[in-house]
Amino acid sequence: MIRRLQIARVLKIALLLILVLSACSEKKQPLEEVNYRLKWLFNISVVGDLWAVAQGNFERNGLKVTVKPGGPEKDAIKELEIGHAQFGVASADQVIRAVSKGSPIVVLAQLFQINPLHWIYRPDRTVLRTPQDLKGKTIGITYGGNDETIMRALLAKFNIKEEDVNLFSVRYDYTPFYKGEVDLWPLYRNAQAPIIGEKLRQAGEKFDLLSPSKLGIRFVANSVITTKKTLEDRPDTVRRFMQALLQGWTEALDPENKEMAIKIVLKYNQETPEKIVRKQLPATRILMLPNAKFEFGKIDVTAWKQTEQIMLTQNLIDNPVHIESRLMPAVE
Amino acid sequence: MLYRRIYQFFIIYFLGVMTLFMVKYVLDLSDYVIPGPMEIWHTGESVFIRYFFNVIDTLSVAVLGHILSIFLATIIGIIGRLTLWIGSFIRVAAYNIQSYPIVAVAPIIFILLGDGLSSRLLITAMICYFPLLLSFIGILSEPVTEIEHFYEATLRMNWRLQVKIRAFENINKITTVIVGSGTLAMVGTIVSEFIAANAGIGHSIRMALYQSDLAKILVALFLIGICTSLYLVCLEGLGRMIQRRLQNT
Repeated sequence: MIRRLQIARVLKIALLLILVLSACSEKKQPLEEVNYRLKWLFNISVVGDLWAVAQGNFERNGLKVTVKPGGPEKDAIKELEIGHAQFGVASADQVIRAVSKGSPIVVLAQLFQINPLHWIYRPDRTVLRTPQDLKGKTIGITYGGNDETIMRALLAKFNIKEEDVNLFSVRYDYTPFYKGEVDLWPLYRNAQAPIIGEKLRQAGEKFDLLSPSKLGIRFVANSVITTKKTLEDRPDTVRRFMQALLQGWTEALDPENKEMAIKIVLKYNQETPEKIVRKQLPATRILMLPNAKFEFGKIDVTAWKQTEQIMLTQNLIDNPVHIESRLMPAVE
Repeated sequence: MLYRRIYQFFIIYFLGVMTLFMVKYVLDLSDYVIPGPMEIWHTGESVFIRYFFNVIDTLSVAVLGHILSIFLATIIGIIGRLTLWIGSFIRVAAYNIQSYPIVAVAPIIFILLGDGLSSRLLITAMICYFPLLLSFIGILSEPVTEIEHFYEATLRMNWRLQVKIRAFENINKITTVIVGSGTLAMVGTIVSEFIAANAGIGHSIRMALYQSDLAKILVALFLIGICTSLYLVCLEGLGRMIQRRLQNT
């Protein structure tokens, strides 16, 4: 009997030892690798993406995410289809165009709730009390770009004919605006307006911004996308990616984390002075979180429908694509 | 010559397009990534005439830019052939300017010249003059001893005569490099239009890129290829004519 008890005790100890050893030697699950292609270069408009990498949000969700900067010649949708990336950021017009050509992409979250594209002008020289005041003005647009579509939609909404305004083809060079040859110049409110505004201020000039959104043109900007296949085959990856990303954005835009967010942007983008980044951050927050209770990443279905309608009206797509069927919000 | 060049271009173009189609169907890519044959055809139908005139516009600027670059390369080649300080200074300056990426220099050009024809011409010339310059400096710096010796011995040598002798003796090389740089003139013009202009096929390509419309770009490439081939054939014909004349004289 004693012998049996001794054997049982030894067995128990051995079992315990095996459990402890196995727990100690248990290897960490390897992180799942995914590529995430942004729409533009590393700047304030991707602060949440950079935060999620730098602060380990992706790693905590079992992902090793390579965030790749975008650029004019890089198209996340094409990379998703070819398989070079699993997630990406694309503007709504890109998404709608791609869907109209049979691209199997879906939208998971909307980054900007207000399109950052605005027009800067000098209120002392260019008086804009009503949209009708646009008549006779020289307005900068990038032919073929988003801003052309938005401005044409704005003019159409207020029955302003193209011959009533002077459309000026813009470049990256702001000289025609500085010289006063162009009255309104398109720029991104969060990224460029603080820089250009600062220059105007230094020159003793006032500036204001024309917001198409405030005038009823809700043309959606950047959103997070993936393919239908990724969504169907790897739903858990998509869930974890979106969880980490949305958390990253929410934390980055939290005013309490301001200093860390600025530090992260400066780490990835050494070209923009800290003074400017400090102005860019709150401007970005307003565009992404219009009010304090707003949950980051919500998809504005009405705005998407309006974007599609604008593109249809301007013959940028041949037929309706019913874009709402491609909106798969990670945030309800 | 024209016929051969055109059908060779067709072969290259269609091989390229076929490769794209193969990638499209093997990887099952949508028309957004690589357009299908029908989409390219319909796009061609709708933009062909507009793009054709755009390419002609580009070609006319390319020809002017090419002439300007030949002129520039000749002047710099003549000065750069000198063994004096000014010769080496001009050579260094020319090489340095060439090493700057055109996208970085372009804003300065636009500030100085605006974004009209003059900027397009200058950028075209800057892109295509360097191979010309290298050849011109090489040719004009190399003495043709057996001929030059005679004029030097009789004290009749001057810089104009020296340049003429060296150019005449290397006329084959000069015509070859001028014909070769014709393609660069076209490329330079398209780049300048892409960066700056409101006209030309480079501008159209930029707009198509904004709209991720590869079908339009393929149509544009087709027309650029045809027009460049025609231009090169003209240059080759002109080169042969000049050579024959010089040999006759």
